[in-house]
Amino acid sequence: MKKTIWYSIVLIAMLVLAACSGESASAPKGSNESNGGGESNETFTYASTSDAVGLSPILMNDAVSANITEHVYEQLFTRNSETQEFDPLLAESYENPDEKTWVIKLKEGIKFHDGSPFNAEAVKYTFDKLRDPATAAPRASLLEPVDTITVVDEHTVEIKTKYPYGPFLAALSHTNAAIVSPTADKKQDLMKDPVGTGPYKFVSWTPGDKVELEANEDYWDGAPALKKIAFKVVPEISTAISMLQTGEVQFIDNLPTEQVKRLESMKNINIEKKDGTSVYYLAFNHSRERNQDADFRKAVSLAVDRDAFVSKLNGLGVRSDSVIGPQVFGFDEGADKAGTAYDVEAAKALVEKNGYGDEPIKLLTANRDNFILMAEIVQAQLTEAGFKVEIESLEWATFLDTARAGEYDMTFLSWSNVTADGSELLYPNFHSDNVGSSNRSQYSNPKFDELVVQSRTTIDQDKRLQILDQANHLMIEENVVLPMYHGIVTTAMDKNYTGLEVDPTGKWSLKNVTKK
Amino acid sequence: MIALIVRRGIQLVFLLLGISFLVFSSMYIAPGDPATMVGGPTATETDLEAIRDNLGLNDPFLVQYGRYLKHAAQGDFGYSYQTKQSVSEAIAIRFPNTLKLAIASMIVAVVIGIFAGLISALKHNSWLDVTSTTFALAGISIPNFWLGALLILVFAVNLQWLPVGGLSAPFYTVDGIKQLVLPAITLGTGSAAMIARMARSSMLEVIKADYVRTARAKGVKERNVIWIHTLKNGMIPVITVIGLNFGFLLGGTIITEKVFAINGVGRLMIDSIAMRDFPMVQGSVLLVATLFVVVNLIVDIVYTFIDPRISYD
Repeated sequence: MKKTIWYSIVLIAMLVLAACSGESASAPKGSNESNGGGESNETFTYASTSDAVGLSPILMNDAVSANITEHVYEQLFTRNSETQEFDPLLAESYENPDEKTWVIKLKEGIKFHDGSPFNAEAVKYTFDKLRDPATAAPRASLLEPVDTITVVDEHTVEIKTKYPYGPFLAALSHTNAAIVSPTADKKQDLMKDPVGTGPYKFVSWTPGDKVELEANEDYWDGAPALKKIAFKVVPEISTAISMLQTGEVQFIDNLPTEQVKRLESMKNINIEKKDGTSVYYLAFNHSRERNQDADFRKAVSLAVDRDAFVSKLNGLGVRSDSVIGPQVFGFDEGADKAGTAYDVEAAKALVEKNGYGDEPIKLLTANRDNFILMAEIVQAQLTEAGFKVEIESLEWATFLDTARAGEYDMTFLSWSNVTADGSELLYPNFHSDNVGSSNRSQYSNPKFDELVVQSRTTIDQDKRLQILDQANHLMIEENVVLPMYHGIVTTAMDKNYTGLEVDPTGKWSLKNVTKK
Repeated sequence: MIALIVRRGIQLVFLLLGISFLVFSSMYIAPGDPATMVGGPTATETDLEAIRDNLGLNDPFLVQYGRYLKHAAQGDFGYSYQTKQSVSEAIAIRFPNTLKLAIASMIVAVVIGIFAGLISALKHNSWLDVTSTTFALAGISIPNFWLGALLILVFAVNLQWLPVGGLSAPFYTVDGIKQLVLPAITLGTGSAAMIARMARSSMLEVIKADYVRTARAKGVKERNVIWIHTLKNGMIPVITVIGLNFGFLLGGTIITEKVFAINGVGRLMIDSIAMRDFPMVQGSVLLVATLFVVVNLIVDIVYTFIDPRISYD
């Protein structure tokens, strides 16, 4: 009798618990079928180490969210990673009647996922909202040069800028300049429930766990072959790699240097490496008197053996003296080796002559990615030349504030450069307008400022190239910063799939991925 | 009993007040501006000022804290600075995962711990005792991230018996149980070792007690001596350890949740600290504190069942 009561209690408890857990059982492996022709109904999963912040291109400003919004929304233009030119995407064509006017013709017959039409009104609505100070959009600066936006007809929009703006197409192809559905934006919170024109439609988001998308069967450029894709949060990269190995996820990116060998030994994946647009550099705090001494900067530059550092990156770094990287608009080969070459003896002589070793250097570093490695190697190299270097390692949030406030002597900074345009690297990072915000090296040089402004206000792209090259040379010759390496974009994908498109900016698209 | 619960309830309110003040002030003092994390690297000082205004971070400390308390008293624990999601909702999504993991690891810990402790005590100084205490020592010493990574490599990657990570399947399905095995072992090992050591020493003490000798002298069967006379009395300190451990596990276990890609409270807390997402940190710490107090209350009540001499009235 007593036993029967116990069994009943246990049974009831199990039923209650079962009822409380409302999730449906996941389909067992192998139950999905491939449709053939490269189409696949299996969920294709990408693992990222952190969660998205939000899914509205107007309001979000982080790389993880961007990976998702890039599949849901589209921009007017897109940068062709091979030609490095800007091809129309939602736009059909454009013309410049004068230097400050952009008349953009839009593609016809495209619909947002909610069924509302994509037209000139939607473009005006999106851009007006992005630049409205009340929106407080983090990337409102993209459209800062814009003066007016006028709907000419259903499929034509005219944008007038305050001054001729050279990188305008780069700005319009930026992730944050993607076009949203005005109807949806008025009705719902696009940060949680996004609606665009892209190849994938939003299905669900479990914060901290995953975002699921499904193929947009009515996509204007043909429905994608992968019918379901998921962006799953796997905080530990080594776990993500194990999951890739066992087939629990199909795709990862940003492969860490120390895991390259493990990944290369895995047989079921394809690794892709592509020279990227990001740059990692040693920055001097130019507001400090010692750093304003050109000889001091030269001594530091002579003492740092960048080749030795890059060789530690397992092939995941490109060595170039140029601040504007080889994949960025504005790079000229002449800049590649124009920097101060490693010469520790010359450095020692300068240090000794000027007494640079008397006062210690505070080398600030964020405690993530390759920064610590960089700091340790540079510390050792500078010490060899006679400098005294103290490393201060801070976690990311504190680091950002300390660097912004200029409380350091030297530090390591990086810039991913999503637009792949040199002006978009030099202006935020080194123009004196941005001291106290994104110009963390506090660099201020009227001659350099002038060149950067010219590079932004010139429409002729050949001329821009020359101006950017001049600004680049100025930085390299004066050792304004010391470029340590330029990033390499890395991805690893299950061998059963093909067709991944990877851009030097680190963006990638699953639109044309098919199952073999 | 009711008096105990009421008394603890009142204590809990004051405790939570104290904790919320501590967390609030430590986040306030901590370096790193939440506005920078929201605004991103390109934000200007004007942008940051607007963000701070918007989040109410420009108000004096006590005004901010008072506002928080007022809303919290109404059940509104605020919204994430980053995602604008409600704190209660964010925790509600993650807590079931932490709970599943905590219960599963506790089962592992209790079963292994008590079994090993008992064997050690009963076969005192035998090879079984030495083996079990060695394993217990190893269990306490092995770091979670190492054990987790090792288990993943062996059982998920090489043998492919179990999945690497996630807790997406319901726990009562085969897939759900499979997903729980590795994280539960990773997390349960440390607790199992602690329980084993405690069970061993406590049982050794009880076995030597006079009433046990008396029972044996009276001719009570050895099985009954162990199960009826010794075990129950030996279990009181063990239950304290179990309760404390369970309280910790409910607070989310950052490393295990990270290694096994489990969307739990511990990960939410650590990610929120890194992003300076104060409302999220505050909400999760208060939840953890409450659970800790409740679990300990339950432990105190359980004592009275095990040892009727214990009374709180």
